[in-house]
Amino acid sequence: MALLNRMDWYDIARTTNWTPKYVKESELYPDEMCGSMGIPMEKWEVYDEPYKQTYPEYVKVQREKDAGAYSVKAALERSRIFENADPGWLSVMKAHYGAIARGEYGAASAEARMMRFSKAPGMRNMATLGCMDEIRHSQMQLYFPHEYVSKDRQFDWAHKAYDTNEWAMIASRHFFDDMMLTRDAISVSIMLTFAFETGFTNMQFLGLAADAAEAGDFTFSSLISSIQTDESRHAQIGGPVLQILIDNGKKAEAQRQIDISFWRAWKLFSVLTGPIMDYYTPLEHRKQSFKEFMEEWIVAQFERSINDLGLDKPWYWDQFLHDLNIQHHGMHLGVWFWRPTVWWNPAAGVTPAERDWLEQKYPGWNDTWGQCWDVIIDNLVEGNLAKTYPETLPVVCNMCNLPINFTPGKGWAVKDYPLEYKGRLYHFGSEPDRWCFEQEPERYAGHLSLVDRFLAGQIQPPNLAGALAYMGLAPGEIGDDAHGYSWIEIYKQMRMKKAS
Amino acid sequence: MAQFPLTSNFEGDFVLQLLPVDTENSMDEVTELAAYHSVGRRVKARPGHILRVRKQGSTEPLPRTMKVAEAGFKPTECIEIIWEPASQQGTSA
Ligand SMILES: [Fe+2]
Ligand SMILES: [Fe+2]
Repeated sequence: MALLNRMDWYDIARTTNWTPKYVKESELYPDEMCGSMGIPMEKWEVYDEPYKQTYPEYVKVQREKDAGAYSVKAALERSRIFENADPGWLSVMKAHYGAIARGEYGAASAEARMMRFSKAPGMRNMATLGCMDEIRHSQMQLYFPHEYVSKDRQFDWAHKAYDTNEWAMIASRHFFDDMMLTRDAISVSIMLTFAFETGFTNMQFLGLAADAAEAGDFTFSSLISSIQTDESRHAQIGGPVLQILIDNGKKAEAQRQIDISFWRAWKLFSVLTGPIMDYYTPLEHRKQSFKEFMEEWIVAQFERSINDLGLDKPWYWDQFLHDLNIQHHGMHLGVWFWRPTVWWNPAAGVTPAERDWLEQKYPGWNDTWGQCWDVIIDNLVEGNLAKTYPETLPVVCNMCNLPINFTPGKGWAVKDYPLEYKGRLYHFGSEPDRWCFEQEPERYAGHLSLVDRFLAGQIQPPNLAGALAYMGLAPGEIGDDAHGYSWIEIYKQMRMKKAS
Repeated sequence: MAQFPLTSNFEGDFVLQLLPVDTENSMDEVTELAAYHSVGRRVKARPGHILRVRKQGSTEPLPRTMKVAEAGFKPTECIEIIWEPASQQGTSA
């Protein structure tokens, strides 16, 4: 039997905005779920998805992708990546799986909301496939680390992390809950697919795929390349939505949602991806600095898609470009210093050769973050390990829930951005973080940061042991220096040479 | 006598830290408590300097003997801990 070509039937098959007989349109599409901003049904019907795929095509392609990734895994099962890879690379995998795998299930729910509640038929079709994508992503990113769980309990956090109050997980969950789980279908398409997926997941997945291949981990590389092909399809859901909003006089609201989501995504990436690229990845495998990668893959591409749509760059754009030089260095230093509180082993990444690289990529590094690391290195050389641990909590931002940090040392520019709202004093790590809060204070006001919880007496006993228990970090899971401090040897030798 | 939480922004350090103090502590005592979490951990000691407390946004340090209870801080308010050359000692206390 001859089959019709896709384009001979696609348009009619997805013309599914039927007129409801038994319920009102407002009952079928409640506004709090749709977020249609008063734009009538027929205006949504012009939605033209840039990527048209039918269900049979989808199943065929996805089956092949799955078969590909799983067979690479099976073929390389004996390649002993766990035993042979640099410990910094294992930390990359642990951080990635814990922060991402279960969030993918959350993304499936967000896609499902667009699938059910968008008034644009083509968007519903794309989101149907997107929802299945996200289920696949979660399943794969839970299955792949599973083989390591018996060797290293930190890999158990691929599944466990989302159910804990570990601080980085609170930050990650606060962001994803905000973008994906508590917004209407139209907001999700802007904040998740346009701002986050076109903006950032490309970077996490393309960048990591390249790093994985460099590190010799072809299983991980093929896994996340496979995922990325889905992302680059369903990330296109938001573009035509923005076009409809702009055409119907809703540009300001669209812009506001982009500005919120982009900033929040940036902060999360500054802690998740920045340290991975500039500190954990072994020096010889680094292709680009985090900043260079951001500039090429995020700044350039995002500016282009914003321009193409006739939108503006976020109001904080200059600050964002400036912060690309800064923010992730402090996030890394914080993660390393508070290392018992994460489920991976951060690699310090500050040997003399690595510092030269950092100085070259980020002129002034030695006079700023390097000054803090000098003190840490002195303590390690002298065997004063206790002084390389914290004895209090960092104050975290009430928006991104990450430590409030900025340039130290000779360029000291650390600052709090406080806000009093209904009698409570909130702290923010930047002007845009505070601005996000001010857009919808009631959405965020009730949330307690880790520090707020500590002060409210929710963490008992109120010390490191109590905090680790509160965060769900069991012995064998708490983080320590990825290389067991072996990198300090070179500094010891330098001292001895100097002394002799 | 009551526990009072402040936020320490220590000159030369990279991160804000929770700083539990007592309402009876003097500003000099507050700087000592703050230094415990920064100096020798990520900030080098500066010989010939003392430490002063100032409110964020202010250029004038608070008097060294002033008590936390008298300073009008809000709970968790961010204070800056600043190095001051010892030769200046007394000029603004
Ligand atoms: Fe995904
Ligand atoms: Fe996605």
